[in-house]
Amino acid sequence: MSRRSGELPHWPMHLFLLLMVVVTIYPILWVFTVAFSGQQNLAFVTLPADPTLVDRLRAIMPWPQNVSAQNFVDLFSDQPFARWLLNSVIVAAATTVVGVFLACTAGYAFSRFKFPGQRAGLMSFLVSQMFPGTLTLIPLYIIIVQWLGLGSNYLGLILVYSTTAIPFCVWMLKGYFDTIPKELEESALMDGASTTTIFFRIILPLAKPAVAVTALFSFMTAWNEFILALTFLDKEEMYTAPVGLRFFVGGFAEQQWGYFAAGSIVAAVPIVVLFMYLQKYLVSGLTAGAVKG
Amino acid sequence: MSERRTSRRQLTIGVLIGLAVGVGVIYWLGAAGRASTQQAAQQQTSLITLGSLVELVQLVDDDLGAVQPAVERFAAGRGDLAEVRVVDVDARRLVASTVAADLRGEDGEALELPLRLQRKNEDHKVWYDLGQELRAAVTANLDEGRAWKEEILVERDAEGGRRYAAPYTRDDEIAGVVLLTSSAEASAPAPRWALALGVVLGATLLFFLLSLAVGGSLSPRAHGALAVGVAALGLVAYLLLAVGDLDGERLGVESDVAAALDAEGSRFAEVVEALRDAEQAAVPDEPTADEPATDESAAAEPAAGAGEEPAAVAAEPVSALAAWDPAGVDPGRWDVDLFRVPRDVIAADGTIDGVRVDALFADTKNRFRVVFGLFVVLGLVLVAYIGLGYAHRTWRAARAHREAYAYVAPAMIGMLVLVFFPFFYGIALSFTNQTIYNLDEPLYKIWVGFDNYIEILTDVDLVLETEGERQVRYDNFYYTLLFTILWTVSNVTIGVSVGLFLALILNTKGLALRPIYRVLLILPWAVPNYITALIWKGMFHQQFGVINQLLQIVGLDPVAWFDKPTTSFLTVLTTNGWLSFPFMMVVSLGALQSIPADLYEAARVDGASRWQQFRLVTLPSLKPALVPAVILSVVWTFNMFNIIYLVSEGQPGGATEILVTQAYKLAFEQYQYGYSAAYATVIFGILLLYGTWQNRVTKAYEGV
Repeated sequence: MSRRSGELPHWPMHLFLLLMVVVTIYPILWVFTVAFSGQQNLAFVTLPADPTLVDRLRAIMPWPQNVSAQNFVDLFSDQPFARWLLNSVIVAAATTVVGVFLACTAGYAFSRFKFPGQRAGLMSFLVSQMFPGTLTLIPLYIIIVQWLGLGSNYLGLILVYSTTAIPFCVWMLKGYFDTIPKELEESALMDGASTTTIFFRIILPLAKPAVAVTALFSFMTAWNEFILALTFLDKEEMYTAPVGLRFFVGGFAEQQWGYFAAGSIVAAVPIVVLFMYLQKYLVSGLTAGAVKG
Repeated sequence: MSERRTSRRQLTIGVLIGLAVGVGVIYWLGAAGRASTQQAAQQQTSLITLGSLVELVQLVDDDLGAVQPAVERFAAGRGDLAEVRVVDVDARRLVASTVAADLRGEDGEALELPLRLQRKNEDHKVWYDLGQELRAAVTANLDEGRAWKEEILVERDAEGGRRYAAPYTRDDEIAGVVLLTSSAEASAPAPRWALALGVVLGATLLFFLLSLAVGGSLSPRAHGALAVGVAALGLVAYLLLAVGDLDGERLGVESDVAAALDAEGSRFAEVVEALRDAEQAAVPDEPTADEPATDESAAAEPAAGAGEEPAAVAAEPVSALAAWDPAGVDPGRWDVDLFRVPRDVIAADGTIDGVRVDALFADTKNRFRVVFGLFVVLGLVLVAYIGLGYAHRTWRAARAHREAYAYVAPAMIGMLVLVFFPFFYGIALSFTNQTIYNLDEPLYKIWVGFDNYIEILTDVDLVLETEGERQVRYDNFYYTLLFTILWTVSNVTIGVSVGLFLALILNTKGLALRPIYRVLLILPWAVPNYITALIWKGMFHQQFGVINQLLQIVGLDPVAWFDKPTTSFLTVLTTNGWLSFPFMMVVSLGALQSIPADLYEAARVDGASRWQQFRLVTLPSLKPALVPAVILSVVWTFNMFNIIYLVSEGQPGGATEILVTQAYKLAFEQYQYGYSAAYATVIFGILLLYGTWQNRVTKAYEGV
């Protein structure tokens, strides 16, 4: 950095930022190019045997030779992608409902009641976040797939996703419930309301924003989860979108990059939009959690 | 007085429940032990049958065509043999089979034995592979000079029968494999719950009477001690009974095995004689020869045939069959373990060597004792817990706070079942050698103590020297650990420096287009990381990937990215760098924006240079936000499964595997669940160490 005390000139900054933006969005443009190329090929253009510099430059330009939506059409008509997408929707939605319900009740109890084991319970949730996924993966596989036989089944994934999401959601919701003044409930109690009424009629409506954010996070986590789904699901028609997308380009069969790219766009665009909207909550939540831990 | 009565009631209930739990578990374990002993006996019987069958096959094997009649005669009328096959691995032929379906072609045409093995036929492939595997195991054991790999393979099939595969020899070389499937025999041992019930009720009654007699003069504590004492007495007594029971059971099944051995010996003699008679077919004495013992009762007859007819040997010694001498039959050598080492339990006269049985089962027995002991302790803890009033107190607390517990319970139960239990179960697994093949075995049976940990942690040979060539062993734990550390450090460094640098630029006042840059630069964080990984995998493709196209524009040669550890590392580093800098940028930017402008104002007034401002104002204000972000990012990167698994896939040869992907591959590609669990536990230990160290450093830092 220069030692001049005046304002730095802006153009080098713009230059650097532009460079970074190119690096950042190139892979994204790449996906769109492959997706709209109408073929399964990785290369954007077919190079002649003795390519000139112009040919080579064209080969890295993220624009397809022929723009075509054929990959998207085939993805939903020839390939089982619609089914995989539906699986993902079902699993993620059910995970969200179950996970958020469990987290709301637990968060409410931790925030509002004093009871023996309260501190221990909260701490145990925090400690569980330190368990490495690989260590619990094998037992979970044995429990869910071998013992319960829920291998290629929605229920197996839903149960595992919603319980693993609990600690984060509980901490987040408890934090929000703590900020709701107790006077509101006390007056309701005076009027003879039960805790159930208070929970459903007062606390939950007031905590709507926090509940919504928590729900969206659970949904996103379940939607993007890959390893557990890969491990549990062995029937092709039960794949979730991530496992299915990997299926297009992994393994020994012919790699279908066009389907992968088109499928990625379908699966990721809503999530990316959601994420951009939510990321400010995520940052504060994460760093707050880390400081507490 | 009423308190005394409450105490007596509580104590009695405590004794009753504690005993019931302790005795119940011991009973259950004992029953499981008895069942497994019986299964072991069944297996041993089958091994003996297998041994005799192998000997028969070796006897007639000069002529491939002779095996089928011999096997047919052997299996005739035996209900315990579901399927028998003999596969000559050398000649690549199925030489005998009792399964009709084997002799039917794809279109239902009849096939002739010996049948040439077909490459496309799944079954044929399995048989052939089994033969090769066994041959390899025998060779390996010969080379090692010890029983190292099992020479007889056993597998439980879906219907409850077992499949066995044993090698047979020709001229002292392994020639082929005998495959035998035993019929399902579901004979559960008879329940013996009367004794268990008697112990529970008897001990409870004893305590109640004692308590009535002397309880009044005792302090509550002494009264409790009396309860625990009586319960301990009952439990230990039952434990001793159960262990003794199991010992008796073992000796009992050994006598079954001895009987089977005896029967098998006489059967063998009969079959061979019948075959020999058939060989000398010109002589029409077939009626006697054609009647091999057809059922158990015949087989159970004493081995009279074995020594009776040596006269027949007089025939010309053309074949091994004709030269066979019934006196040479020694069924004892069929009684082997899975390494084909004789067990030496049953003497020639059928008596059982009790000491030897004890020695064979010593290991299992000790394990049983430990497990039993643990449950005795559990029972006593329960007695104390209920008897001394803690249970009452817990119950009262639960009732007083029942609303709170009701709200917490669903989440807590879910966490217990699907987070905490798996965690502890995983740690328990790490002390076993569980694989996909012994999933049904209870853990105490496959307990190996610290073996897995020792294997992982004491293997420090990073470099393998073969024929002057030095090679890094990429599957070594320490190599992977070092690689993981390198991976984590370089990624976090890149993430922090790029993120911070971008944040500083974006924080410049009056910079045009700031919000647009910000949104575009956050994008990589928003893309699901498995998609990111696969995109980069495509871009690094050797032939069609854009990265190699770019290199060619600059005039370089295309690179085979995944063929060398260094270039492979570059691919994963690039991918992870791309997706991880936005997080650091957002965190830094947030922190930068919260620094009050007056601080810089004051610094400028004091004549601080730009660099001094950065060092003395910016960095310290960033710290509270950056430190947790770095901690998080270290743990994330350390555990970044998707990138490694999907981009480099550990290539080449596991060189770019990090600890978590290695643990995953151990479990789900090599199916070594126990070993992988130990691996994962070590990873947990490392993270725990890192966490405590990080905590201490952060605290010390804050303290200054």
